[in-house]
Amino acid sequence: MLTLALPSGIGQNPDPVYGLLEHAYAALREKNYDPAIAGFRQAIALAPNRASIRKDLAYALLKVGENEEARDQFGEAMHLDASDQHVALEYAFLCYETKQQAVARRIFDRIRKTGDATAEQAFQNIDRPLAEGIARWKKALEISPDNFSAHQELAALAEQRDELPLAAEHYEKAWRLKPGERELLLDLGRVWKLEGHTEEATYVLLAASRGEPARVAEKARELLPSRYPYVYEFEKALELDPNNFELRREFAYLLLEMGKKEEAEQQFQKLNQMAPDDLLSAAQLGFLRLNGGDYTAAQPLLEQVLKGGDDELADRVRLVLKLPQTMRHRGTTAQRTFEEAKSMADKSLNAGYLKDALKYLTIAQENDPVDFNVMLKLGRLYNVMHQDREAIKWFKLAAKSPDPAVSKEADQSYHNLAPAFALFRTTFWAFPFFSTRWHDAFGYAQVKTEMKLGKLPIRPYVSLRFVGDVRGTTGSTLSNPAPQYLSETSFIFGVGVTTLPIHGAVGWFEAGAAVKYLTNRSDVGAMIPDYRGGIAYAKGFGHLMGGTKGFFFESNEDGVFVSRFQDDMLAYSQNRAGYTFAKTETGPLQQAQIYLNFNGTADRLGQYWANYVESGPGVRFKVRQLPKGMLFSVNFMRGAYTVNESNPRRPNFFDLRAGFWYAFTR
Amino acid sequence: MNASATEPRLGGTVAATLMFLMALAAPAANFTYHIAGDDPGAWPQILGSIGLTAAAGGPANLVVVRNVAPGSVPQWMQRIQEGEMVVLEGESELAQALGFEAGKKHIVVRSIVDEHAPKLSIVWQTGVDIPVFRVPKDARVFATERWEGAPLEAAVRRGSGVALWIAVQPGSQGYERFPYLLQALSDLGMNAPFRSERLWAFFDGSYRSRVDLDYFADRWRKAGIGALHVAGWHYYESDAANDEYLRRLIEACHRKAILVYVWLELPHVSEKFWADHPEWREKTAILQDAQLDWRKLMNLTNRQGFAAVSKGVESLITRFDWDGVNLAELYFESLEGAGNPARFTPMNADVRDEFRAMHGFDPLELFQSGKPDPVRLRTFLDYRAELARRQQEEWIAKIEAVRESRPNLDFVLTHVDDRFDTRMRDLIGADAARVLPLLDKHDFTFLIEDPATIWNLGPERYPKIAEKYQPLTKQTGKLAIDINIVERYQDVYPTKQQTGTELFELVHVAAKAFPRVTLYFENSILAPDLPLLASAAASVDKVQQDGRRLIVNSRYGVGVPWQGPAIVNGRLWPVHDQTTLWVPAGPNVIEPAPKDPAMRMLDFNGDLRSANVSAGGLEFSYQSNARAAAVLNMRPGKLEVDGSATNQTILESGPNYVVLLPRGQHVVAISSTP
Repeated sequence: MLTLALPSGIGQNPDPVYGLLEHAYAALREKNYDPAIAGFRQAIALAPNRASIRKDLAYALLKVGENEEARDQFGEAMHLDASDQHVALEYAFLCYETKQQAVARRIFDRIRKTGDATAEQAFQNIDRPLAEGIARWKKALEISPDNFSAHQELAALAEQRDELPLAAEHYEKAWRLKPGERELLLDLGRVWKLEGHTEEATYVLLAASRGEPARVAEKARELLPSRYPYVYEFEKALELDPNNFELRREFAYLLLEMGKKEEAEQQFQKLNQMAPDDLLSAAQLGFLRLNGGDYTAAQPLLEQVLKGGDDELADRVRLVLKLPQTMRHRGTTAQRTFEEAKSMADKSLNAGYLKDALKYLTIAQENDPVDFNVMLKLGRLYNVMHQDREAIKWFKLAAKSPDPAVSKEADQSYHNLAPAFALFRTTFWAFPFFSTRWHDAFGYAQVKTEMKLGKLPIRPYVSLRFVGDVRGTTGSTLSNPAPQYLSETSFIFGVGVTTLPIHGAVGWFEAGAAVKYLTNRSDVGAMIPDYRGGIAYAKGFGHLMGGTKGFFFESNEDGVFVSRFQDDMLAYSQNRAGYTFAKTETGPLQQAQIYLNFNGTADRLGQYWANYVESGPGVRFKVRQLPKGMLFSVNFMRGAYTVNESNPRRPNFFDLRAGFWYAFTR
Repeated sequence: MNASATEPRLGGTVAATLMFLMALAAPAANFTYHIAGDDPGAWPQILGSIGLTAAAGGPANLVVVRNVAPGSVPQWMQRIQEGEMVVLEGESELAQALGFEAGKKHIVVRSIVDEHAPKLSIVWQTGVDIPVFRVPKDARVFATERWEGAPLEAAVRRGSGVALWIAVQPGSQGYERFPYLLQALSDLGMNAPFRSERLWAFFDGSYRSRVDLDYFADRWRKAGIGALHVAGWHYYESDAANDEYLRRLIEACHRKAILVYVWLELPHVSEKFWADHPEWREKTAILQDAQLDWRKLMNLTNRQGFAAVSKGVESLITRFDWDGVNLAELYFESLEGAGNPARFTPMNADVRDEFRAMHGFDPLELFQSGKPDPVRLRTFLDYRAELARRQQEEWIAKIEAVRESRPNLDFVLTHVDDRFDTRMRDLIGADAARVLPLLDKHDFTFLIEDPATIWNLGPERYPKIAEKYQPLTKQTGKLAIDINIVERYQDVYPTKQQTGTELFELVHVAAKAFPRVTLYFENSILAPDLPLLASAAASVDKVQQDGRRLIVNSRYGVGVPWQGPAIVNGRLWPVHDQTTLWVPAGPNVIEPAPKDPAMRMLDFNGDLRSANVSAGGLEFSYQSNARAAAVLNMRPGKLEVDGSATNQTILESGPNYVVLLPRGQHVVAISSTP
């Protein structure tokens, strides 16, 4: 069986594959088939046209049961040496064994015509049952012409017997009986191709290559020409298989690409009729109609897409219609990443690693773009990092949360920050309080509207202040017959300019006029010029009001020039350190703080009233029933003047102050 | 000191110590895996199909990284460098760090080419849009997209570890996209944990007429095959060349401890019998000879025909050294039932006469009108199912009679499932509920054939099938399942026939649900599946590694990867070869031992119950429905079965010896000296 394929003159003309073959044969003798086969393969790579090596490889492959590969090697050997009838017979037998009965029959048929008895017998062994089977199924069809399996069996036998027209006829009939059996299209295409009906084969294979089932489509693709099909081939394929949705859709897009919009629209219209729920076709048809100016016809289609479940497609429609895009959930992998990132972000926040927290929150947000909690956290984080431009973006998104708690906080934060980015920003604050020391109720308030000047760090504003009290004066004393006024008792109109906060500090200056509201006040005119300006710094640390429970510290430092007080320069320092209690869930009291005050005031001119220090405990409450930005505070202060020259009072004082602080910005 | 006197002794001690240490340090198989990420996906099914279990907190040297935690890439890279085998899916930081980078171009993948079976059509049911990835230059690419060649499955080695990357997750069942993931892992160094050699496989010699039978017997045994059920119809008539081939096949199998059963596919008898006896041919409902597919059906209702066939069958059974008989699929055609008269059987004259006499009408009339009368059709279908049962009982009795002279023969009845797919009774006359009570009267295995109608369903069908049969018989230990590994007529994905992970999942789940799993058929099992098949067939309930000790609890006995001597449950264990230690069913504690006994049993085909090292050799007990085969590393000098000296067949198998032992439950003592 094995033939040693060595040339006679080794000495003169060394065979390049001699060594390989020697090892292969040695391995074969030891029944070490794997190295033998490897050796033969290497030899064939070097000497591909030597039929004898292929034969020996084929025989070795038979030993290890690799019949298909053995068949192919015999086939190669047969083509290399057409005169070797033995190889042809081996090939034919193996074709038969490996389900290539038609090829086996053809080869046996060819060889038997040379008078070979083995081939004759083998041919008959194949041909007779085929002929009998064909006759049997023909008879079955006479009895039952619509017997699907009879058509299918008959077609398969006819194909193996090379009765191709008969095979094609019955494959087609079988397919017509069960159009869902799309593998029959493949069979039909294959037979037509064998028959030489290349064009018809292409149509049918094109139909089979589009749509379900995927396996049939892939097999059809193997049999199709490698080029892309022509338009007429699509048309013919659709004639044959008019309900092939995928085929028609591809054809429609082809037409679209070719600029044949009308024809494409017709195809999309058919698709829409075939499958009214198919959103892609509906969208495309809608776009085409929209482009054609037929809004009425386009509208229901595009609305269908918008209401359908395909977010991406809906976004495309929105884009065309210039509607806002939607956000989408992502898949499960993203979900896992999201969970981990969120957890890491929380850890980083707790540890105070803000940059890390930002990185993880960003990852979390990218992996679940509709988690409103994450958006809120991003808003908070950016806010803490003084990147309010980013913060406001996230607060705005988070405010759309279906969770009322998230939505409320985000909305509030957004509204807190938004004015800073609006063209006009109006701030109002008021501080009415009662002082036991003066037995008087005081009121300080300001409404101020700033204008944003692009990215310039300054903002002009107009302002109206109110400074007044109920009592008016302390009354005349013996030492000071002129009544002493306890406040400016004026409305102060002004225009000014302020800087943007830099590390919590702003500079400002305004000019205007103070208009007294007490008509009987005689120490100042009804309307006097008023110039004031200064630097203000405000900063809170720790757990501030509105936040979680814990210690806090607040500091307000102001340096103010006021023309009204003899161009005086005053410095105020107001500080509070204490504890913020947790927010309550129910009841009128929402949150409370207790703290100690440390305040001090000084001025350039050394006036007694402007130079004192004071300290004392205080409480501050946030009450549910009151407006959002309103706090009620009670402070008990013990103070001492630091300049007592011209001081008509005692150098020390007690004062209990109770009042409301209210502020908002729009 | 006399150096020459001490060195050899010292050398011997050192060698023994080294051997012991080697046993301790022998590279462990991968028993466990770990999945990084909350959602394990289909990986437990994939890895579990060859017996790997999830690591319960302990070390695992195979990790599937489904979710790369932010910032964890350096740790993963380090673990790979240090020897971890890591699997990762799609785009991730880790994939990128390893060199698998997604490009801008995308393709829709519908079919792939896998290097394990490059000619096999692997088609995905649904196309997946995937970026075309760049893979490192040193990557080994296992699978590519079919038309454009984009890499989809590849591996890189880094340090002493390796990473296997797939472009997209493997799908919900685990085999929809990459059927040969386990083969790829195996190529990269993963060792499957356990082995079973209890599989049965149907065998048709016409596909293996020119193979080296010894080579194949070795291959089958390594694939876990314990018995071949050989198509008997090729040998029904005596033929010198055919008979010689069969004898060589049986000998080759026995030399590798594989048992050989004759598989009968009545009412198909043989090609020659069909040609010689047209008078006994079965008829379809259009009165054609019933040649359906490859089967040429005979009329066994005819008493003369039955007598002739039963004589031939007896001759077939007694002419060869069979270990058992498998009477398969003895009912009627076809799966299309009465809906296709051209394939409907039986309609021979004997059946028609008998039915007419019983019910007063010719059943042929049912098929001569447009639509059969439902009441009459029901009458005939009931008669037909009963006829099938009668024939089965008749043939069981016939084979039981032959067994009287051949007491070592096992007997198997292969019967299509009609409990899970209840249409089978009407379609082909199969009625398991009527046949199963025969298990109480006769000693046979009831092999349930998976009907073609459900070949497309997943492996979870096997526990369900098992559940359906539990109430029908008390002999649940005699139930077996047949898995058809063939091209399915249904629209199935990714491969037409089961291969890779799908096959392993089928076999593994079936092996947990049934005491015996049979594969149809030997020739259809694809070559890449063979190395892992024995592991898929192994059914282990518990495995625990406790320092040097390995605790394994299996239902039917199992092969454990092991190199060197071992102590099992405190005793020196004589049943192992170079790579596998065989332990009986139940819990077993395995530890390294310093020295092997002289006589060892390298392989055993039967249910091993116990084993001991004896003074002159070894002792063991077993149970087997057929003969048992023991492969020994030395020629037995003396052999006792149940305390009596006996002369059992001893075959040479290379350097080893195979002893064929009687069926049943026995205690065997073997010594190397006479």
